[in-house]
Amino acid sequence: MGKLKAIFTNFRVIILLVVMLLALVAINPAIETKGLLIGGVAMNSSASIAGIQVPNPATAPRSRERVLAINNRPVNTVEEYRAFVTTLEPERSFTIKTTKTLYRLTTKPLLRRTALNETELRTVTEYREENVTTENGTVESRLIPYNVTKEMPKILEEVIGTEDIGLRLYLAPDSNLRKGLDLQGGSRVLMAPEEKVTQDQMDTIIENLKQRLNVFGLSDVVVRQSGDLSGNQYISVEIAGANEEEVKELLGRQGKFESRIKNQTVFRGGEDITYVCRSAECSGIDPQVGCGRAADGATWVCRFQFAITLTPEAARRQADLTRDLEIVSQDGTKYLSEKIDLFLDDQLVDSLNIGADLKGVPTTDIAISGSGVGTTEQEAVTNSLQEMKRLQTILITGSLPVKIGIVKADNISPALGSEFMQNALLIGVLAALAVALIIFFRYRKVAISVGIIFTMFAETWIVLGLAALIGWNLDLAAIAGIIVALGTGVNDQIVITDEIIQGEKASSFISWKQRIKQAFFIIFSAYFATVVAMLPLWFAGAGLLKGFAVTTILAVTIGVLITRPAFAAVVERLLKK
Amino acid sequence: MGKRSRRKRLLWRKLRKEEAAPSEAVTAEQPRHEGKKHGFFYETYSKHYKVLMLFTLFLLFASLGFIGIKYAMTGVWINKDISLAGGISITVLSEKDLPLKEVQDFFSGRHTGKEFTVRKFSSGDQKGYIIETGELIEGELRSTAEALFGKLTKEQLSVEIMGSSLGKSFLRETGIALLLAFLFMSIIVLITFRNLVPSLFVILAAFSDIVCTFALTQLLGIKISTAGIAAFIMLIGYSIDTDILLTTRVLKREGGTVLDRTLNAMKTGITMTLTALVATVIGLILSKSSTLSQIFLIITIGLVFDILNTWLQNAGILRWYLEKHGKT
Repeated sequence: MGKLKAIFTNFRVIILLVVMLLALVAINPAIETKGLLIGGVAMNSSASIAGIQVPNPATAPRSRERVLAINNRPVNTVEEYRAFVTTLEPERSFTIKTTKTLYRLTTKPLLRRTALNETELRTVTEYREENVTTENGTVESRLIPYNVTKEMPKILEEVIGTEDIGLRLYLAPDSNLRKGLDLQGGSRVLMAPEEKVTQDQMDTIIENLKQRLNVFGLSDVVVRQSGDLSGNQYISVEIAGANEEEVKELLGRQGKFESRIKNQTVFRGGEDITYVCRSAECSGIDPQVGCGRAADGATWVCRFQFAITLTPEAARRQADLTRDLEIVSQDGTKYLSEKIDLFLDDQLVDSLNIGADLKGVPTTDIAISGSGVGTTEQEAVTNSLQEMKRLQTILITGSLPVKIGIVKADNISPALGSEFMQNALLIGVLAALAVALIIFFRYRKVAISVGIIFTMFAETWIVLGLAALIGWNLDLAAIAGIIVALGTGVNDQIVITDEIIQGEKASSFISWKQRIKQAFFIIFSAYFATVVAMLPLWFAGAGLLKGFAVTTILAVTIGVLITRPAFAAVVERLLKK
Repeated sequence: MGKRSRRKRLLWRKLRKEEAAPSEAVTAEQPRHEGKKHGFFYETYSKHYKVLMLFTLFLLFASLGFIGIKYAMTGVWINKDISLAGGISITVLSEKDLPLKEVQDFFSGRHTGKEFTVRKFSSGDQKGYIIETGELIEGELRSTAEALFGKLTKEQLSVEIMGSSLGKSFLRETGIALLLAFLFMSIIVLITFRNLVPSLFVILAAFSDIVCTFALTQLLGIKISTAGIAAFIMLIGYSIDTDILLTTRVLKREGGTVLDRTLNAMKTGITMTLTALVATVIGLILSKSSTLSQIFLIITIGLVFDILNTWLQNAGILRWYLEKHGKT
């Protein structure tokens, strides 16, 4: 009993136990989780309109929003959810209860729109500037909506089904550990620009790719720049749970951006736009219009504009298409009767007014303008600038600075992923038992075997806790790293045990404290050799082996600083007579 | 007189007393070894250590020779798998039980001129095949797979594509990483021992481990992957562990002959290697992932060579060097 007390009051052991407790908190394992995890919310879908937000990848898995029930019926498996979705009809309402709140969704009908040759009179809403006297007596300029009735092509809308509600759900996570692709399934695509790019260009490329992937509304998307020892540049895209085809489709293309007037293409991204201005001289809040109050008096509206440059061909096309349009003039600003629609990958992303001075004139320099709203002037300004940035990215997306090609693509099915995980666990447990047996045969003391097994477990546990804390993805490389660390860990513990036992025997000329010192000398030399051997891997191989190097270094460091000294203290007290 | 010398005498007396009593199982061996306890092994090891050491050096040169001859004859010094050579690999989960040859022939038949490697794997409830080949369009490979196995959902099919230029660069990259790792490790060893010659012996032993293991993998026709090269780097770490142990104990301990200290260290060292070995063998038998399997295989082979290179080569050279300089 006295020995046990001596063990647990030793400060190294206390540190170990405290750190293990912290790891427990970080990992936060669940005994039973209800509901399904929200993995993605598609843009403009019923789900996003109802207010469900795309989950923030930075939050810990167990703290993310989960769907608990639909129409008050609890849902716990993906099959249950899918079964429900097949029963949906258009224009129906239903509720989704999540860990955050209750949402009310309305399904949207899936429409097919065809423009007919006939036209009809339709009333549309447009804005114009007006000077208005407010209660205080000051004169302000406001954007006032007014209705215009004019001839427009008839559009036939047919309902062909229910639009997907745009919610991607996964099984609820059982801990805060993030599983990498190898364990969870998903796609990993490695791309390289076909020529050398500057850091600015690289940033633009990465921004574009993220923008494209945003269309899916997926949260677990990692787009990262990486390199290797030879200075090659790569972009690595990892999407958990997505299909490789979807990803390659999305990324492999240049990005289809089109602008159309009356369904005829004016200019396309990539070929037709040579330059999009992002600097302050030619982009920002429109100085001539600025901000003002909307007609309802409560919301603020700001106009922004930025310059782009078209190729001469695109400019001519634009002139041809606008020549026959009418000018709709109001006090202040004159526009053409048609708007220009912007399509990204065949999805309408925006509709803008065309300045009247563009009618029939082939201009290569065009100003694109739009607006943003807010409850205060400041908010309106911020939203406008964000809108502008989004538009710029869309236009730039259509024109990547260089062509990028896919050099490596992996797709791992989730079934295979969970196979690997179970397999790894099995190997771990059996290997630990085998090691324990050998230790027992060598030392003939159960306590030491138990000590070594416990230390191995403690090291693994703490590394996992660290991984959960910093949001590190566990994949095969990480597992390999943990294996290396455990291997060196057992080695170190054997060295320690041997030194202590020999110290016990007192059959040598070196004092006991010195023996421990020598043991740790061996341990630390081996430690530095291992760390230093892993360092080149950190920077090599397009970052794919980085996970292995980092995990190994972290795990052995934790071992050398925390778990192995604690083990030494325990064995010391166990064997001391 | 002083305390220290008195303590020394007390220890001496205790030592003499303990020599009479037999040792318990929990202790390490005493400084003096009884000849009859170890018999053949001890005799050979103590007397013929030079021969044993030369044997390991012979293995080293044979390995280097093998690699050299193979390169001269085929122009290839390393067998690469798709992660280093480029190509495409698909993993199909299917209940169908077909002989490997049949699967291979089916694919070769559909895509003339291309070589296919087919492997089977099975675990609890999942069985399947891994099919690899050089550059091929994914869609084609997929449709061939579906022709043989029936329609495959995305759950049943996993694809890995590696562009060959990337594969080449990986080989160069990880190769450089390996060399750097070796270099840095050598520096650490030199700093540790501050003594050039014993450090060189340690570095030589690590080098032998890697070269012999590599030669054996090539002899066995194993195709190395990026994970495999990572395994070689891991091997550096494990080799160094035992060599540092040996050299530290032999150089820094006093009492007993070099041989005694070596045998003393061996007990610790072999236990270390044995635990690692048993773990990697289990991993090798049970592993489903080809990445991990190759890592386990390379480390298993490496550890076996490590036993030879640490306790026969490194120990032998060290002992010879110390005895030559009269530091028995």
